[in-house]
Amino acid sequence: MRKILTIAAREYRAMVATKAFLISILMMPILMFGGLAAMSLLGSIGEVKERRIVIFGGDENPGIFAALREIAERENSQKREAQTNRTALAGLERDEFGAMPQELYLLEQGNGVLDDDRRAELSDQIRRGDLYAFVELPPRMITPEAELLKVPFYAQDSSLAEARRWLMQHLNRIVQESRLKLTFSDDEISRIERARAPIVVAGLGLVERKGGKIYSAEEKNEIVDIFLPMGLMMLMFMVIFMAAQPMLETVLEEKSQRIAEVLLGSVNPSQLMAGKLLGTVAGSLTVFAIYFAGSYVVAQQRGWTENLPLHLLPWFIMFQIFGVLFYASIFMAVGASVTQLKEAQSLLLPVWMVMMLPIFVWLLIIRDPLGPLATGMSFFPPSTSTTMILRLATNQTIPTWQLLASLLMLAVSTIAIVVVAGRIFRVGLLWQGNVPKLNQLWQWAWRG
Amino acid sequence: MPNAIELKGVTKRFGKQIAVDHLDLEVPEGTIYGFIGPNGSGKTTTIRMILRILQPDEGRVLVLGQAAGKVADDRLGYLPEERGLYKRMKVRDILKYYARLKGCYQCQPEIDYWLERLGATEWSKKRIDALSKGMAQKIQFIAAVVARPQLVILDEPFSGLDPVNMESLKAAVLTLRERGTTIVFSTHDMAMAEQMCDTIFMIFRGKKVLDGTLESIQAQYPADRARATWIGNGTPPRLSGVTDVEISGRVIEFRMLTPHDPNDYLRQLMQTHTVEGFHVIRPSLHDIFLRIARPDMYPIASDDNQERCP
Repeated sequence: MRKILTIAAREYRAMVATKAFLISILMMPILMFGGLAAMSLLGSIGEVKERRIVIFGGDENPGIFAALREIAERENSQKREAQTNRTALAGLERDEFGAMPQELYLLEQGNGVLDDDRRAELSDQIRRGDLYAFVELPPRMITPEAELLKVPFYAQDSSLAEARRWLMQHLNRIVQESRLKLTFSDDEISRIERARAPIVVAGLGLVERKGGKIYSAEEKNEIVDIFLPMGLMMLMFMVIFMAAQPMLETVLEEKSQRIAEVLLGSVNPSQLMAGKLLGTVAGSLTVFAIYFAGSYVVAQQRGWTENLPLHLLPWFIMFQIFGVLFYASIFMAVGASVTQLKEAQSLLLPVWMVMMLPIFVWLLIIRDPLGPLATGMSFFPPSTSTTMILRLATNQTIPTWQLLASLLMLAVSTIAIVVVAGRIFRVGLLWQGNVPKLNQLWQWAWRG
Repeated sequence: MPNAIELKGVTKRFGKQIAVDHLDLEVPEGTIYGFIGPNGSGKTTTIRMILRILQPDEGRVLVLGQAAGKVADDRLGYLPEERGLYKRMKVRDILKYYARLKGCYQCQPEIDYWLERLGATEWSKKRIDALSKGMAQKIQFIAAVVARPQLVILDEPFSGLDPVNMESLKAAVLTLRERGTTIVFSTHDMAMAEQMCDTIFMIFRGKKVLDGTLESIQAQYPADRARATWIGNGTPPRLSGVTDVEISGRVIEFRMLTPHDPNDYLRQLMQTHTVEGFHVIRPSLHDIFLRIARPDMYPIASDDNQERCP
């Protein structure tokens, strides 16, 4: 046992006491969550673009152009101010990633008749970059009897244009208000607007009964409900990946440098593997502890501690330990079977694919955590750890039998994988020559 | 003297290939035992069986009086050729690690002793990848002996060393023997084996082909090489019944195809030259190795196979 602990201590130090470890501790979350953060950040600090838009048909729709321009100018001045003072953006809407609006709309009233020649000429101006878009307001938009109207918006990126969405939103409001004014008095309009006041369906949790008291349900935070499960799933992926990946490199080094022979002259292969796995699990728990402590400190500073799912901690650690043992054993077996990292990559491709499976379908799982996909993936051992933690972090109550059965299944398959990987490890470590073929690996796994 | 290693009818197969074939070997305790053989002859497999990394398919392996089991033996030290060290570990850490794996947890004095003895103290805090090849070789040697093993297997321990370091490592090996350690010394350097080993063992195609002291081995092979020097006439002599002729100035070295009658060659020389000296040379280990490993290069001597040289 003392030798196993000696090996475990070395493996732990080799994993944790390196610059590469510190760098990866910092880099992994950046790589994983950086995309979302970057979108929001770029949205905030990016250059504000001026969009020159000519609007035709204003003469036949009195008041509409003036109202649009007033809104645009008011928002433009807010956006300009926001370049130096972010609080000025308080009244502006943001996109789904929290990014600030990036466009200033310079509206001009188009004069004269808009025939095909004129349309072609304006289109050329857009192509040259002198103009961003032109809009053709149909005549008599403000009539009480008007039905669905289509307002042509000409631009090179018209389908995706933010300006088109902005225009549609404000045009609708201005036109609808004007139509109401034609038919109803101000008092009536006010009553209509009150009657049409929007309704919000607020998401609440469940009412709880504890110790004879009933605790009312709390309003749910969408960000917490979506990003917390995703964050926990990514954390699970990271702690498994950061522990299992170095195993491949260590075993490859031991094999190519003939360190394995020295080690096997001192301990038997099972002791060697046990020490390595123990060290890897300890390293993985360290990674988790660092991220957990970091998250807790940030949450405490921002007053979010109540959102931290501390009740999931024991489950997370259990699924983490089995996940690390499962993948570290596979990586060790692969490392022992090859002589170069390049050769390992081809063998590991299917492992990677399976390992990343929950990341591809996480949104489907949190939308229906009790559905067949989520349940099925929970019982597929390579994806059990990440899927189960994702499901547990949603508000749905996962049946206890599923929780225990998936953990048991993962534990049993981990033991099987460790045994099989151990056989491959034992033979592969002393194997010199070509990369073994699949049937050879099968023989090693079967007979040892 | 009891044996440190005893192999009785040991056979090891890998699939259909027989790596070691009914091998018998006895290594007396406290000796330096030279282990030679061409690449792929079964040397490494035999060493691995002694180290208990591999189990024999047939036969019995006794190491330090114990039959080979599946448990590694802490009384054995091993130095693999050129490698065997983690590149990113510090010297002192790796020495401590290897010592602990051999069950030696209080080995700091031994580490300090060997570091100083081999002039590596100032490198003790460096990483292995910062060391020269020769220094890494010395560290590897220390790693093999730091737990005070009773039996040490050294695979090419002098590879990559300059003459100064080679001498200090040779002295270290001799110190080990003085302490009573048995040393199995695997090498391709025949001169080194001749110089250092009490007994030499050669394996070829999985079988034992040589085993004994250098003298006893040499006695098995005819002294078929001769060296002669002459004075006066600078023209090299022409001899019949010789092969592998080497001439340098007034010295000629040749292999006699009929070694049982060296006088015949002396007579031939005396007919044309004034002979100053004539010596029959005993075959070196290098020659014997080549005769076994490359019989095509050394045809069997016979009177029908004569040629005239040069």
